[in-house]
Amino acid sequence: MRKSVQYSNQSELVNAIKSNDSSVIKKFYTENYKKVELLILKNSGSIEYAKDIYQDAFITVWTHIKNDKFTPKNETALQGYLYTISKNKWMDVLRSKSFKNSKLLNYEILDFIENEDNENADLKNNKLKLTMLAFKNLGQPCKELLNTFYFEKKSLKEIASKLKIEETTARNKKYRCMEKLRAMVLASK
Amino acid sequence: MKNNSNDISQELLEIIESYINGSMNTRELNDFNQLLELDDEFKTKVEDVKTMLLGIENQSLKEQLDEIHKDIPKTKVKKSKDKKVRYLYYSKFAAAAALIIAVGSIWFFSTPQNEKLYSKHFKPDPGLPTTMSSTNNFDFYDGMVKYKHGDYDIAIDKWKTLNENSPENDTINYFLGVAFLANKNVPEAIPYLENAAEAEDNFAFLNDTYYYLGLAYMKEGNIELAKKNLELSNTKKSEEILLKLTN
Repeated sequence: MRKSVQYSNQSELVNAIKSNDSSVIKKFYTENYKKVELLILKNSGSIEYAKDIYQDAFITVWTHIKNDKFTPKNETALQGYLYTISKNKWMDVLRSKSFKNSKLLNYEILDFIENEDNENADLKNNKLKLTMLAFKNLGQPCKELLNTFYFEKKSLKEIASKLKIEETTARNKKYRCMEKLRAMVLASK
Repeated sequence: MKNNSNDISQELLEIIESYINGSMNTRELNDFNQLLELDDEFKTKVEDVKTMLLGIENQSLKEQLDEIHKDIPKTKVKKSKDKKVRYLYYSKFAAAAALIIAVGSIWFFSTPQNEKLYSKHFKPDPGLPTTMSSTNNFDFYDGMVKYKHGDYDIAIDKWKTLNENSPENDTINYFLGVAFLANKNVPEAIPYLENAAEAEDNFAFLNDTYYYLGLAYMKEGNIELAKKNLELSNTKKSEEILLKLTN
């Protein structure tokens, strides 16, 4: 495993993102933000919009990488991809009725647009949103355990030693937490 | 949805997980794929787990991005202003002009009628001819020269010294009052003019004293005292103002 924050080429970057390497994510996120912010500020947006749009785009790029929907073809492909997605998302906002009608409050409009999306999007997407919301509100011990295992990709062995418990206990705990999360998602439907 | 068939056992969860993260061997993968094609219920469960894992990761990422974002130095919204600089530049002047007009009209419309009358009518007393006469009065005439030059501050200083020595001198009181009026210090003028107004009837400046006292009270907004003094002043100019005040 490499500790260095550097990613010399795109495939390295793709692999680091796939494994949720937090330092690479931070670098990639930080390096490309200002360009998007500039774009949005220049086009009647605000800093708040910029952050929301960029994060939305970043998560999309990350998802596409994970699902192998995007394979970089040149050395700045990923950066360009992130910028393009941000741009498209911002255009969607600018074109939306709710933005034209009121330029006042940001978050409500973004939520509204997301809802507009939801209506057209399939059930799967809706379920994803519900899962995200449920995970956001999940109790801290479960949330941390699932985060460490599924996002940080730490092994059950590592988690067990960190929590000073048996590996089997960690494994059972993880399952119970998943059940809890699943129950929350089903309940919110 | 049927609850029981919807349950995912720990074992099944772990199998699906190993399928998702690609840690199955070829044989396991083949079996799994076969099951996916045959069993719709199984397929739904796999999709469910997939969504859950993606949801966890998405939310975790989102929260991590929020943390990262805190470290990004905040852009002062300069860029969006660039385009507007020129506009702002002019608008500053426009705003200043509007402000001046607003303040001006507020002043104009709120300035009481009597103040306008005052500024229309007030003219400083022309003063006394400064002939080189008795040396006794040198200081007084020295002050008069300054007064005529419009150096009211100096005149006031000089006359004040004289006034301290002889507070009953009506002429000095009168000219001190007029000098204060000319120096736009109405409240200071009134006591001196009041002193002068207590002079004997033969005081040469008595009518003028009442006149200026009337003006001073008018400026101060005390119309009653203004009228009273103007009435006492037996001059044409006070009659003129009185007429306007009563109208």
